[in-house]
Amino acid sequence: MNELLPAYAAGSLCGADRERVRAHLAGCARCRADLAAWRAIADAAAPGDAAPDAAWMVRTVLTRSAIEGPADPPGDGPWARRLRYAAALVMAEARLIRLAVPVASALVMALGVAVVLVQAAAVARSAADAGVVLALVAPIVAAAGVAGTYRSRRDPATELVAATPTAGPLLLLVRLALVFGYDLVLAVTASAVLTVTAAGGAASLHTLIAAWLGPMALLSSVSLLAAVRFGTDVALGAAIGLWAVRVLAGGVLARDDWPARFIVDAWSTNAAVLAMSVVFGIAAVVMAGRIGPYDGEPRGGRRATHQT
Amino acid sequence: MARAEPGGDEALLRAVATGDAGALTRLYERHGDALFGYLYQLAGDRMTAEEILQDTMLAVWRSAAAFEGRSKATTWLFGVARRQAHNRLRGRPDPRTTGIPLPDRPDQGAGPDELAIAAAGGTPVAAAIDRLPDHHRDVIALVFVAGLPLADVAEMLAIPIGTVKSRLHHARAAVAAALTAQEVPE
Repeated sequence: MNELLPAYAAGSLCGADRERVRAHLAGCARCRADLAAWRAIADAAAPGDAAPDAAWMVRTVLTRSAIEGPADPPGDGPWARRLRYAAALVMAEARLIRLAVPVASALVMALGVAVVLVQAAAVARSAADAGVVLALVAPIVAAAGVAGTYRSRRDPATELVAATPTAGPLLLLVRLALVFGYDLVLAVTASAVLTVTAAGGAASLHTLIAAWLGPMALLSSVSLLAAVRFGTDVALGAAIGLWAVRVLAGGVLARDDWPARFIVDAWSTNAAVLAMSVVFGIAAVVMAGRIGPYDGEPRGGRRATHQT
Repeated sequence: MARAEPGGDEALLRAVATGDAGALTRLYERHGDALFGYLYQLAGDRMTAEEILQDTMLAVWRSAAAFEGRSKATTWLFGVARRQAHNRLRGRPDPRTTGIPLPDRPDQGAGPDELAIAAAGGTPVAAAIDRLPDHHRDVIALVFVAGLPLADVAEMLAIPIGTVKSRLHHARAAVAAALTAQEVPE
């Protein structure tokens, strides 16, 4: 009987048990005293205030539900959520890239392929030349695309991007992955086309890719670094200038001079070049995080507010 | 025990799962006071209790579809409230547990009579309850404020019903001992 008293005091005992306790209490002073003690606790634990009004509460909850966004579907792990978030991010960034950029990249690359094919048809060219053409075209296409990834203040989407809760460097990374990934796919496709049509002669796909991969990574990373630090236009100019020097060193300048040799060596596919590209890329993303989307304009350039 | 009739808690929860705000209102009208009392007891102040109650109703609104009817709707509701309270109160310094050391031995101090008399004054018992360790206060609040049957409390806390009873008795003994130590006048 003693066992049932707390529930009886709380009023949570159901029918038969409640009657049994009530009947017992009438004849048991000890249990009545015990019950009084439980009731004392029950009374003391009860809140002094009433709960908030129902209409107010429901309105508040519905508002919060609308503002705080939809809940994740039940049974969703953090990985599924992250994946969905990443996919949404890529989709959103893809929409922000101007159509002209991928189209122009594809056209230039196609032009390169066409040049090789036409030449191969006209003259029996050697394997090296397909590689040379690709090595000249692919890096500058990628570098030009990457130069445009870092948004200046004049970009109409800047304001919107600045208002998102996603960190600027992450957005830059996503955009980079999209643009550079697209250019990589383009270049690989071009290499594959040349290999399949045998315009590259005996050159394997591997050799062709090796011809442009290193220069493409290095030029793109330099271009990105310049874009973050000085702006898109400067980056584009720097990339074109650097690449012009490389082209001159490969063709016009005497090939045996040590500066020319050095320049050509610096623009090839090897571990050092790729590592250097990665370092430049990381530096650019870190710098973008430091500067932030608002101050990412050229140093010494126009400011929104002028000090008088 | 699960009621399936229309207008029952389970039916209300299913309606909430389909986005019926009226059902949420009715559910709140039915259980809001008990939920608020329970959270008030856990949180210790009205402001925090209201915030957690909001969190709770928001969680109910969003995840009513996750209610599978394996437990009673009330048990599920208080389970949600308890989780929300833990989320918000976790890591918060607890000013209550700095008071009188609690005895390990049950029921050697004041008897039920003294407790009942002290209750006439009201506040000393409430103060003593406030100083109980969390797991004791939780059980007191679920049994006396929320008014859940002991079996439901046991299910919610995932402990045997015997443990619920022993926690209740320990809590009462601790309250009595605290009152004795404060020399509440008889």
